[in-house]
Amino acid sequence: MYESFLNSFPILFGSGNFLTIIFVVALGLLIGLFVGALPGLTTLMAMAIVLPISFFMDPLVGIPFLIGVYKGGIFGGSIPAILVSLPGTGASVATTFDGPPLTKQGKGRKALETALFSSVIADFSSDIVTILLIGPIALIALLIGPPELAAILFLSILIISSTSNGSVGKNMIMLAVGLLIAMIGQDPIAALSRFTFDVFELRAGIPLLPMLIGLFAIPEILINIESKAKQFVQSKVNIKKEQRLTWKEFLALRKTIFRSTMIGTTIGMIPGVGQVVAAFVGYAAAKNASPNPEKFGKGELEGIAAPEAANNAVNGPTLVPLLTLGIPGDNVTAILLGAFVAHGLRPGPQLMTEQGSIVFAILLCMLLANVLFLILGYFTMPLFSKVVSIKKSYLLPLTIVFAFAGSFVFRHNPADLYFLLFFGIFGYILKKLEFDVTPLVMAFILAPSLEYAFGQTLSLGDDSLIKYLLLERPIAALIICATPIITWKLWKRSKRLRNVAAEITSKQVS
Amino acid sequence: MKNLLKMFLGFLAILSFTGIVKADYPEKPITMVIPFGPGGSHDLNARVFTSIVPQYLGNAIIVKLVPGASGQTGTAMVAQAKPDGYTLLFTHNYVDQLQHHVKKLPYKPLEDFVTVARINYAAACMIVLSKSKYKSVQDVFDAAKSSGGKMKLGHSGMWGATMVPMAQLLSWGKVQANLTPYKGGGPMVKGLLSGDVEAVLHFPSVIKGQGSKVRTLGCGSNEKALGSPPTFDSLGFTGQIGYMDRILMAPAKTPPDRIKKLQDALGKLKGDKTFKKFMGRLGENMEFMNGPDYEKVRAEKSKNYKNLVKQMTKG
Repeated sequence: MYESFLNSFPILFGSGNFLTIIFVVALGLLIGLFVGALPGLTTLMAMAIVLPISFFMDPLVGIPFLIGVYKGGIFGGSIPAILVSLPGTGASVATTFDGPPLTKQGKGRKALETALFSSVIADFSSDIVTILLIGPIALIALLIGPPELAAILFLSILIISSTSNGSVGKNMIMLAVGLLIAMIGQDPIAALSRFTFDVFELRAGIPLLPMLIGLFAIPEILINIESKAKQFVQSKVNIKKEQRLTWKEFLALRKTIFRSTMIGTTIGMIPGVGQVVAAFVGYAAAKNASPNPEKFGKGELEGIAAPEAANNAVNGPTLVPLLTLGIPGDNVTAILLGAFVAHGLRPGPQLMTEQGSIVFAILLCMLLANVLFLILGYFTMPLFSKVVSIKKSYLLPLTIVFAFAGSFVFRHNPADLYFLLFFGIFGYILKKLEFDVTPLVMAFILAPSLEYAFGQTLSLGDDSLIKYLLLERPIAALIICATPIITWKLWKRSKRLRNVAAEITSKQVS
Repeated sequence: MKNLLKMFLGFLAILSFTGIVKADYPEKPITMVIPFGPGGSHDLNARVFTSIVPQYLGNAIIVKLVPGASGQTGTAMVAQAKPDGYTLLFTHNYVDQLQHHVKKLPYKPLEDFVTVARINYAAACMIVLSKSKYKSVQDVFDAAKSSGGKMKLGHSGMWGATMVPMAQLLSWGKVQANLTPYKGGGPMVKGLLSGDVEAVLHFPSVIKGQGSKVRTLGCGSNEKALGSPPTFDSLGFTGQIGYMDRILMAPAKTPPDRIKKLQDALGKLKGDKTFKKFMGRLGENMEFMNGPDYEKVRAEKSKNYKNLVKQMTKG
């Protein structure tokens, strides 16, 4: 393994392709960044579109190009989430908690820079961990089967719901609503219709993107319209002098970034869990560890650093099952698999033993992409942060256009606009009633995977589920036993934190 | 931001221009809907041939992925599209010929669509781990029998491309087994590698990548790349089994001369060197079949599936 690692350096740097590689990675990053930043256009689509272009390149040029698009796209999705509360994917939902409040205070650029630095640092570190531990990570991937996945997903939903804002009772209601609407459509295993009332549009289930935009962007817009006397951005913090992230602020974030990187990397090692969970767990952990948790959700830089670092730290380890076992963990890695294969490299055990140095060269390219992205991001952020300088009377209608256009281009289905409207109004009502929609969204995103894994577990356990878990699945049994204890502890802790927060607020009022 | 706004307006302008229809077919890009998600084998095959066909067709083919409801969302979209040859569907036989026996659909696949061509097919093979004690398909059947139907086998989705042939094989061997679903082919292989299930069906392009980790017990067709394991035919199974036909369909009312133009262009793929190179690397075959030939098999396959579904949902 070490030999192939050492051999990867001359492949990358000595090929005479090195400048080309830097160029295509940078190009890919920019394409990804802009596509990801436009709501409705996903990283996945961008990658699928540029895939044929990469076919006609050298493998060590074409694949880094795609990796650039991938990394740029994931970060790009956070930009509208921070500036106008428009999350393009589940992974950037947690960023909408503190991003828009910061933007309103005129700190949009600060927020974007925080996101950029946290993402790049976390991604870079997780890639290094991946290079060092590629063997063990592959073994972990094989240990996690359906029963373990079901137990972990169940625990994740409980953790996130019990640490969300608002009362536990309201959070549990939101959790139940999320699970219920996730069931609309075909059941994931036998593909039988549920709660569709013979409406064809409901058969494929509720689409995620219009729902996210509806729940997060529309209420934000409506509330801004209500406060029409005020400026969207307070007028005193004007465009002329944008606030940038100071070195001191950055240093204060280092613990959060480190914690989230650890969380994200660990979650990335578990196939099937992914960025969404990482972002939320990272956010919850940062809030729990903070001396002033009451500031979260009102414009706290840590609230940006935590989810952004966590969801990007997932990237490195997710590639391991693809590279070592030839199994793509998600759609993005499936497209990368296609690129590998079209270049005559079929990921899997054979590629690792026969052409391990190419695998490592590609992992080194990921490190390179991070460094490049830091530079590129640094110079493009001012362009994006200019959004806040647009007058509210233009920005709000423009956001509405982007919300509708984004929901539509996603699958070109007019029904999605109805979903957008429905969830927009629903989200607005929930906001007025002081419900936190986080548990709803989490439950909605994770429910299908959870149900699938649970169904598989039932099938594998045949007629004696408990015996199967105890005798053949000790890891799953352990997680299940730990679930009530962990939830209880977290719940008590967050209750205490809420009381502290309530005290502080009441003091401020008096 | 001004730049961004300009970009957006420019984008809108381009979009509106593409809507203008000119005289001779195809005078504008053709949209090809794939009713599955990105990164699957349909997506990959499509990316290859849509980047080559345009030089024979004279205009681009744009791939549009419309996943959802086991392929129904995308299929319904094409069924409702204008039959002018500018909207096509790239699907497979289980969505086209089996699904309507299982559930009510908002379209009639056999009547609403006509085959332009079969691009190629993938024939499923039965695999076990190399360290497994099973050396033949019969061994697996015997084990299933002696386990009393509790032997754990995997498939990649209900009524899908590995589940149907697995069910066909089991019913032919007169045995039962515990069939556990996986969310697609990738997770299914992981289930096999980690020992959760003992045997699965998969396609040669994937099996090749697993190298010496797995043993192939039998295949739907003669797979030289896998060292020609026994075919299911040679084991005594009659009728095509486990063929996933990747088929390009058009709405039934599409003008025949337009379909002919598409078929002519697609027919030239076989002689194309770039196409050959990429298909070879993907591990896919180039068994092209023209529309009219495929139509003959299509109705019969549908009838066979009807019987299979009846048999399977009976119990």
